[in-house]
Amino acid sequence: MITSRRDFLKTAAFGGAALLVGFDGSRLFGAGQSNAAGSFAPNNWIRIDGDGRVTLTIGKCEMGQGVRTSLAMILAEELGADWTRIKLMQARPSPGSDLGTGGSDSIMSSWKPLRQAGAAAREMLVAAAAARWNVDNTSCSASGGGVVHLPSKRRITYGFLVGDAAKLPVPENPTLKSASDFKIVGQRTNRIDGSDIVTGRARYGIDVKVPGMLYASLERPPFAGAKLKGMQEEKARAVSGVRSIIQLPRGIAIVADNTWAAIKGRQALAVQWTDPPKDAFDSDEHWKQLEAAARQTGFITREEKAPPGAAAVTKTFDAIYHYPFYAHAPVETMNCVADVRGNRCTIWAPTQAPERLQNQVAKLLGIPPTDVDVNITLIGGGFGRRLGVDYAVEAADISRAAKAPVQVLWSRADDMKCGHFQAASVHYLAAGFDSENKPVSWKHTKAGSFHNISPLDPKEVRDTAWYQDWSWGCYDVPYAFPTIQTAYVPVDLAVKHGPWRSVFAPSSVFARECFIDEVARTCNADPLAFRLEMLTGADVIKAGRTTIDRRRLRGVLETVRDKSNWGSPANHRYGRGVACNAYSGHTYIAYVVDLRLDHDNNVHVERVVAAVDCGRVINPIGVEQQMEGGIIWGISSALKGEITFRGGTAQQSTFADFAVARMRDTPAIEIHIVGADAERPFGMGEPPVPPMVPAIANGVFALTGRRIRTLPIRPEHLKEPA
Amino acid sequence: MSKFDLTVNGVRHAVEADDDTPLLWLLRDNLGLTGTKFGCGVGVCGACTVLEDGKALRACQIPASEVASRSFITIEGLSPDVSHPCQRAWLAEEVAQCGYCQAGMIMTACALLHDNPNPSDEQIDHVMSDSVCRCGTYPRMRKAIRRAAQEISSKKQ
Repeated sequence: MITSRRDFLKTAAFGGAALLVGFDGSRLFGAGQSNAAGSFAPNNWIRIDGDGRVTLTIGKCEMGQGVRTSLAMILAEELGADWTRIKLMQARPSPGSDLGTGGSDSIMSSWKPLRQAGAAAREMLVAAAAARWNVDNTSCSASGGGVVHLPSKRRITYGFLVGDAAKLPVPENPTLKSASDFKIVGQRTNRIDGSDIVTGRARYGIDVKVPGMLYASLERPPFAGAKLKGMQEEKARAVSGVRSIIQLPRGIAIVADNTWAAIKGRQALAVQWTDPPKDAFDSDEHWKQLEAAARQTGFITREEKAPPGAAAVTKTFDAIYHYPFYAHAPVETMNCVADVRGNRCTIWAPTQAPERLQNQVAKLLGIPPTDVDVNITLIGGGFGRRLGVDYAVEAADISRAAKAPVQVLWSRADDMKCGHFQAASVHYLAAGFDSENKPVSWKHTKAGSFHNISPLDPKEVRDTAWYQDWSWGCYDVPYAFPTIQTAYVPVDLAVKHGPWRSVFAPSSVFARECFIDEVARTCNADPLAFRLEMLTGADVIKAGRTTIDRRRLRGVLETVRDKSNWGSPANHRYGRGVACNAYSGHTYIAYVVDLRLDHDNNVHVERVVAAVDCGRVINPIGVEQQMEGGIIWGISSALKGEITFRGGTAQQSTFADFAVARMRDTPAIEIHIVGADAERPFGMGEPPVPPMVPAIANGVFALTGRRIRTLPIRPEHLKEPA
Repeated sequence: MSKFDLTVNGVRHAVEADDDTPLLWLLRDNLGLTGTKFGCGVGVCGACTVLEDGKALRACQIPASEVASRSFITIEGLSPDVSHPCQRAWLAEEVAQCGYCQAGMIMTACALLHDNPNPSDEQIDHVMSDSVCRCGTYPRMRKAIRRAAQEISSKKQ
């Protein structure tokens, strides 16, 4: 209902030449119509102009997930718009807005409000047309950017109706289209901004130029507490184009007339920092802490006890899984343009978290958030990295000191070393069997670390739900063990760490999906058939706030079983692995992976058969792209680079020492979409990642008999016969 | 600071820069041609790839002192109307996700097809593996290069 707090609509008309419908899925706006632009400021709105153009202002950030296209498709569907006449604008943060883009949430959260807004505008346009023709609304229909009077076949395009429509009240409860009438949703649709990309016109954060802009490179302390020991300030100043060297608590900024002068000035500055103390962060030491922690009881995140009289556990076995640190490594390094003038600041940033950015910049400058204007650019790879806003705070700090608009650009080494990393974790798993060798108990303890990209609220109640939030993929184990105990043990982590593609799920799903394979082998069962068997019992289960529909998980597993000819691998030299996951109970994915070893024991993934159930599909191309991207991401995690720390500093600095998958690492990929006609859609950005790594690890076991419990998989792990 | 004459996308420019300024920054900062991207600065990611006589070059590795009298093509100059076979194939196969690395990828593919209009899958993988796409658009890129190769060879017949 549009009158509810969550789904409020309102309209305004600018000079009668346009119809505007504003909407916001998450909060209430002041009621009433307005002719004044200033008082019409919802986060999202549709504008239909007199020439029939439809402009959708969207509140989500585009980082390659295709959200602009898919949101426009949903709107165009309900509005009955001409797809080729839809234009997009990026919303900016405003009081109460929430433009944050992460957690694979955009489609899920926009589906209903966008449809309601589109439907409301459509009904207003239909009503305006019907009034003009003096006919009944129900005798009219809207599609392709116009209204048709069905009996007489008269047609009028939206542009001619906007003036009249804008004078009508917004319908409180517009009728949404029936899914069987969908003409755009579900169709393979090309990216709305595709030609900008292939012509170089697409503008990312790094491409922003504003008048008078200076360029900065920031030398940051290499570890927490590092002190400046020395630098060659005169040499740096001698570099032509270098304007100033600014010492800030967060580092030393070299401000210059162009990017190269800033880079060169920083090299010439040759900053020396104090040596790290002996107890500076070291990943080998951290592993020891995590391993010890994984043996503790921790905070119980789920406890299910077998009914009295159930078969007793007569045998157990356990295993420890290690999951390393990873960098995001988007190809566009962190960058931001800030222009601090007096008590105002304007920001241009590739960001996934516009409001966090606005608040943190405001805090730095001691001004209200409303005095920080944030312009969101295209993002050259997000993956959760740009939920952190450190690079924007830096830019504001330097702009304030330089008294000029400044672009801060991170080098590749800055990006590798100073990011917020995917945190390492260690997982203890144990399974119990009864006297008939039936698996009857499951235990999974995750020792890991909370995010520290923004301070945790010390007042937040640390209850079961809170700890569950830090251990997706662990507490929500979908398998039907009569006894289940999952737990979380928090371990302090000094280096920056935070969300990464799929957030907390990849480590837990790696451990869980490999260990369930171990359990299957212990039972002499086929790992895919065993998973299906362990997904029987109740079709729908609750684990904390997560609802898992085992039918959907079985559905994707059965699909990959059938499509891959599971019983007969493609090639006797190949190992074949399977894994599956229900991401937050929303999107269900299963993979069957065929892989081989080369003479040097390098793993090559040759083929992936994938099945995905993400509910109602908006754009099948978008779903396929995210599947492919998640599969490649998983190959990088399983087989390529990891981050290690010595002396408080990440040791990797390039794509050479933190390798990511390249085209030569790309398998043949076959994607099967199931359940696409469901009622609601779910997200796709993250869910394809978590089950990919365990599918590879299980394939390596099938081929070599060697269990992979540490990542990334290295040839030396596979040298000796199992 | 010295003056350098170079031609980009058929237009002659005189730019003033330090001798060691990489072509990448001449394009982006001096000429405002931001389609060519920075990704690593050390020639290992391919985001800054441009063309010279049909060959792919890493713009971050060419100092200003070496650009005089040379002629480069960037993504902005590939075609006036999105009509280059690689651009068309990229759109037809819906390759791009975030799109950031794609200019470099397209330029690399153009050079590959210039050199070898009918590359094998292994040759495609070999050449394209010098570049990084973190979104994982490689499967579609492969298809797009095959499609562009077909279009080029069918035009020649």
